[in-house]
Amino acid sequence: MKVVFSARSATVNLVLVLLLSLFAGDVVAHGERAQLASMRMRTVHWFDLNVAPLKVKVGDIVTVTGKFYTSELWPNQLPSPEDTVYLNIGVPGPTFIKLDASVNEVPMVRSTAFELGKVYEYRIIMRARIPGRYHVHSLLNVKDAGSLVGKGTWVEVEDHSGGPVPFVNEATTLTGETVNLETYGLGDVFVWHVVWIVLGIAYIVYWLARRELFIPRFIRVREMGQDKADEILTKRDFVVSSVFFTLTLAVILGGYLWGENKYPITIPLQTGKVDVVGLTPPTGELDIEVESARYELAGRSLMINAVLTNRSDQAYSIGEFLTANIRFLNSAISGPTTYPEEEMVAFDGLTVTGDSVIPPGASRPVKMVASDALWEQYRMTGLINDPDSRFAGLLFYFDEDGKRYYQEIGGPILPTFF
Amino acid sequence: MSEQSVSTELMSENEVRQRRLDVKSLDNPKAMKLYRRFDGIFILVLFSFLALGVQIQFTLTAGDWDYWIDWRDRRWWPVVAPMTLLMFIGPLAYGLWYRLRLPVVATAVTTLLCLTSWLSRYLNFYEFTYFPMSFVPASTYIGLGILLDCSLIMTRSLIISCIIGGGLFGALVWPLNWPIFAASKVPVEFNGMLLSMADLMGFQYIRTTTPEYLRIIEESTLRTFGGSVTPLTAVFAGLVGIVVYALFLLLGKWINGLDKYAKRIA
Repeated sequence: MKVVFSARSATVNLVLVLLLSLFAGDVVAHGERAQLASMRMRTVHWFDLNVAPLKVKVGDIVTVTGKFYTSELWPNQLPSPEDTVYLNIGVPGPTFIKLDASVNEVPMVRSTAFELGKVYEYRIIMRARIPGRYHVHSLLNVKDAGSLVGKGTWVEVEDHSGGPVPFVNEATTLTGETVNLETYGLGDVFVWHVVWIVLGIAYIVYWLARRELFIPRFIRVREMGQDKADEILTKRDFVVSSVFFTLTLAVILGGYLWGENKYPITIPLQTGKVDVVGLTPPTGELDIEVESARYELAGRSLMINAVLTNRSDQAYSIGEFLTANIRFLNSAISGPTTYPEEEMVAFDGLTVTGDSVIPPGASRPVKMVASDALWEQYRMTGLINDPDSRFAGLLFYFDEDGKRYYQEIGGPILPTFF
Repeated sequence: MSEQSVSTELMSENEVRQRRLDVKSLDNPKAMKLYRRFDGIFILVLFSFLALGVQIQFTLTAGDWDYWIDWRDRRWWPVVAPMTLLMFIGPLAYGLWYRLRLPVVATAVTTLLCLTSWLSRYLNFYEFTYFPMSFVPASTYIGLGILLDCSLIMTRSLIISCIIGGGLFGALVWPLNWPIFAASKVPVEFNGMLLSMADLMGFQYIRTTTPEYLRIIEESTLRTFGGSVTPLTAVFAGLVGIVVYALFLLLGKWINGLDKYAKRIA
C-alpha cells in the first residue's frame, strides 16, 4: 500500500498554513457584497452619505449623515420595513458608542416603521471608543429580513498621543447620580457572584470530598437496592443540606432586600416603537416610463430604455443612476458631487444616448447605460441567479439652476449572454 | 416485592457472585485505592462534560436572553432561563440519584455554568468584541441549584423535590439575581424619553446584528393583579419549573432504563 502521509509533506503543509495565517489580510467588509444583487437593488437606496471626520482620536465625535429611499419595488418574498425596522451602524462591535440617532429629526432610540417609496434623512452621532481602522456603514435591521447595509467609509481612530486613556462614558440617572457606564454596577456584580460561587463550591466539596464516591457508592446502592438505598445518606448529610437550604434562602432574601435598599427607584426595561413620517422625493415634473432593461453579462453593463416626459418649464439633465449603493455618474453633467473618500462611485459610469438634456415640454426616448467594473467588483453579475429578475434604482437629474431631483425607476430585466 | 429482589432473582449465578466480590472489594485497600483514582478521573470527565454541555445547551436555548443586560426583562427571561437549565439538570439528576444517591448535579451545573459564563464574557465579549463587562455580566443560578439538590436530600424523594425544588428553581430566579442587576434598572432620561440604564447601554454599545426589536420585553398575558408582574411571573415560572423538571426526570428514568439493552448484549 502506498504511504500518502510523510513527515516532509506534513512539514510543508504546516509551514504553508503558518504562512497563510501570518499574511492573511484583515476581514474588512460587512457583507455589502454578499447579499443577492436584486436584494441590494430593490430594498434601500442609500445616498448622500457623509462621515466626518475620517481621522479621530479615542473620545472624539464622528457624525454620520445621509438619506435613504425605501424602494417601491421591494421584493415580495422579503419582509418589508413597513412592519419593524431599526436604524443601526455597522462597525466591528462597540468600537464606537452611539450618542444619538435620528431620522427626519425624530430620535431613533427604538425601532420604527418606514413607508415604502419615501425618503428618510438620518443622522447618527458616535464617539470613538477603541483605536483602529474601521469601515463604518449605515444599516437598517429589518425584522425578519435581516441587515440591509449601506456603503462603508473608512474611519481611523487613534489613541491619544500620551498613550491609551481609559474610555469614560458618563450618564446621569434620574436619581441624580452620575456614573461611568463602562464600569457601572460591576463592583456589586463581582461581590455577589463571589458569594454564590463560594457557596456552590462549598456544597460540591462537601459531597465530593469523601472516601467512597462513585464506584464504591454505586456498588453499595446496587447491593442495598432502591428501597434501602437511602440508608447510604447519613444524618450529617441531612443536617448539612438543611443548613445549606436555609442559608441559601436567607442569602437570596438578603440579596433582594439589599438590592431594593441600594436602588429603591427602578423601572422595567422600556419598549415600544417610534413613529416617523417619510418625505416625498423631489421628482420635479419629469415622468419616466421604463420600456425595457437588459443586463449585458460580458460588458458588465445595464441598459435601460425609457421615455422621459418633461412637463415643467425648464430643462432637466440626467446626472446619475444609483443602484445597490453604486453611483454611476454622467461625466457630461456637472451636477453630481461626491464626498471625501467616497467608495463605490463610477465617475464616468453613466452614458446617455442622444441628448441627456430633456427640454421643457419634450417627450424623448432615452437609452441609459450604466457600465463599470464595479458591477463585477460588487458581485452584481449574480443578477442572473436571482429569483425575481427585476431591477430598481434612483435616477438623479438636475434643472438649469443645478437643483437636484430624483425618483425611482425599475422594472423587469433580461440578461444578454453574448 | 422490591425491584432489587426481582432483579436478583433474574440474575445468573455468575452475576450474583460478581456482585458479592464487588461488595467485598470495598474492604480491600488496594481496590479502594484504584477506585479513588478512578473517582478523580471521573470527576474531571464529569465536570468537563457538565461545563461544556450546559454552556452549549444554555447558549442555544437561552442565548441572548442571558448575554445582554437589556434583554433580561421581568417576564420572559425568568421563565426561559430556569426552564432551559432544568432540561439539562433533570436527566442527570435522576441518574446520579438512582445509581449513586448523589444530590450534586444541580449545584454543579449551575456553578460550572457561572464559571464558564464569566470566562466566555471576558474572552468573547470583553477582550474579543470590546463590550464593557457592565453590559454583559453573567447571571447566577447557583442558589437555585443548591435549593434543588438540598430539597432532594431533605425529602429523599424525586417527586417531592421536583415540586419544592423545581418550583423554587423557577420562582426565585428574579430575587436571586436582583442584587446583580438592580443597578441596570435605574431610570435615566434620554432625548426626552424615559429609559432604564440597561436600555441606554443597549442603545449606545453598538450591536450590528442584534437590533433592539429582537428583545422580548413585557410580552405575556400576565397582566392582572394590579400590574404585579414580577410576583406573577415568579409563580408562573415556578409552575413551569415543576412541569419541566418532572418531564426531564422522566426522560432521565427512560435513559436510565436503557441499560437493560447493554445487559442483553453482554
